[in-house]
Amino acid sequence: MKMDEPVIEPSSVEPSPVQAAPAEPRTKENPELLAFLIAIAGWVVPGLGHALQKMWGRALAVFLAVGALVILGAAMRGNLFSSRGEDAFATLGYFADLGSGAFYLLARALETAGPDVSHSAGDYGTRFLATAGVLNLLSALHAYEAARGRKA
Amino acid sequence: MLTKRPAEGKPDSPMHIPFTHLQAMLLFALIISLAFGTLGRRKPKERLKYAAWSFCLFIIVGVAIGWLMYPFSH
Repeated sequence: MKMDEPVIEPSSVEPSPVQAAPAEPRTKENPELLAFLIAIAGWVVPGLGHALQKMWGRALAVFLAVGALVILGAAMRGNLFSSRGEDAFATLGYFADLGSGAFYLLARALETAGPDVSHSAGDYGTRFLATAGVLNLLSALHAYEAARGRKA
Repeated sequence: MLTKRPAEGKPDSPMHIPFTHLQAMLLFALIISLAFGTLGRRKPKERLKYAAWSFCLFIIVGVAIGWLMYPFSH
């Protein structure tokens, strides 16, 4: 190092334009994180993922469809699986039911008399409940893709 | 010895809707096809067309599978 070169102190270096810019919210910097949060919101409350993106028609359709399937499934006394599944199918059924987010708790509250799958209606009710969960998961994935800017 | 038949539905159940096979299939197809139409398309006319198409396919495939299974029920 030559002696006549000026020594630049790190503190005297002017900040670059990028550094000088005011700090933005973390979600603006990371759209991936925002999309993930939207997907989680859409899972917890059916339709919320679309509502947060002002897709009102889709939000309402998802909310009504998942809600109708859960209420009808519970009214038909379908089997709502719990976490204490006895086999792999029961565990899969639990994950499918859990897909309906907060409506899983609603179905639990509605089914006070317990499931009755000895009749076809109860068996169909089980399918209604599982479909509600899977449809909600599909909807949350759709909201995630829309938030990432993919064509949706 | 007479045994008591299992109850068809507890009387204290807040609601009990005993749909028939056809009613359950129609209702299921209607709800899902409306959701598919709304999620899958953007324009209202296209949504309606897609929902109607999905509904028809649900019914046709459901009835076809029902008839395919018919010989095994006898």
